[in-house]
Amino acid sequence: MRLLVAAALTLVPAMAVGQETAVDQALEARQGFMTMLGTNMGTLAGMAKGEISYDETQAVRAATNIQALTGYDPTMHFIEGTSTDDLQDRTEALPDIWLDLEGFGEKYAGLQQAAQGIPDAVRGGQENVGPVVEKLGGACKECHDDFRKK
Amino acid sequence: MNGTPVRVKLWDPFLRGFHWLLAASVIIGWTLGQFGPSKMTLHFWLGYLSGALILFRVVWGLVGPPEARFIHFLSGPRAIIRYARGMFRREPSYWHGHNPMGAWSVIALLVLIALQVASGLVSDPDDYINIGPLASEVSAATRKLALRWHHIGSTLILIMVVLHVGIVLFYRYWKHEDLIRPMITGWKEVIRRD
Ligand code: HEC
Ligand code: HEM
Repeated sequence: MRLLVAAALTLVPAMAVGQETAVDQALEARQGFMTMLGTNMGTLAGMAKGEISYDETQAVRAATNIQALTGYDPTMHFIEGTSTDDLQDRTEALPDIWLDLEGFGEKYAGLQQAAQGIPDAVRGGQENVGPVVEKLGGACKECHDDFRKK
Repeated sequence: MNGTPVRVKLWDPFLRGFHWLLAASVIIGWTLGQFGPSKMTLHFWLGYLSGALILFRVVWGLVGPPEARFIHFLSGPRAIIRYARGMFRREPSYWHGHNPMGAWSVIALLVLIALQVASGLVSDPDDYINIGPLASEVSAATRKLALRWHHIGSTLILIMVVLHVGIVLFYRYWKHEDLIRPMITGWKEVIRRD
């Protein structure tokens, strides 16, 4: 009996931690994914504006990263029970995502499409970066407008 | 209501110009913000224009002609209550300038628009194409707060503008007093009380 109680006492917190970890991982994964998109976008946007001097190798690297990232499907990290309703300030993922998974997927497909062929598109000079940033940024905005808490 | 109404030049040309420019700039800017292209260059410019207009209005409220001065048209609760009592009478107010209630809604609109411009300047929506020009001067938490306020503010401005136009129409059709023409021509029928 005592053993059973002891086992239960150790299991309950362990289970709680286990549960928390799935949520933690989902948040870390998708927010990290967005951060990676952001870092590479930062390089391209900086070059487009002339704040960073144009360097073809760096531009192609950032564009290749973004195209590669969009080959990944981050929607698997938007697990049930991880909206702003459930987790308040820990996330900015609006409940609307789960009410309209299809629409959310479409916005992501929009970004995937915008990212097609960008490593080549940013070659050749600073003036080629701006249009790519605008196309990508438009796809980020489309999704943030509808599905990310302001 | 005692005294006979007289026609006076109430609103000076700068105030009228200010009003219609601000109305256009806020309406177009708001619409572009909601439905415009994803690259929000024009929205930004209309924000700068609105900000400049508000700055002008603040200066004008301090040194402009008497009818435009804050000190002339802002009054306390007693005057507001007195005015509100007669508010629904179906006759023109013949008020000389902003009435005690309208005055505060003017201030509310100006403050809301000023906050909207200020928050827009430091917002960062993480799309790398529409970053407020001063966003890099403030902390990430402030950028986030600004973005949040910018969205709440857009709703509040919509409500205030609808209310504003609604009240002007209320004067026009309930109180049979046209306030719009004076805001265009400057001339209004008023009864002087001072
Ligand atoms: C399919 C929808 C979608 C697209 C497309 C999208 N985002 Fe996001 N983004 C989100 C959601 C949802 C969040 C909130 C995630 C959370 O807080 O759990 C987010 C959050 C972010 C964050 C904040 C991450 C953090 O630290 O919390 C950044 C930065 C970001 N996105 C950048 C981008 C960039 C840059 C692009 C375009 C290249 C982009 N996003 C495209 C949905 C999207
Ligand atoms: C976004 C749209 C608008 C904004 C932001 C706005 C803002 C303002 C402000 C700040 C004032 C105070 C004027 C001053 O003393 O500086 C004012 C007054 C006024 N506005 Fe507007 N306005 C808008 C649209 C309109 C429209 C569409 C109409 C016409 C129907 C209108 C009619 C008037 C009138 C008649 C007054 C004077 C009220 C009085 O006699 O006290 N406004 N508006």
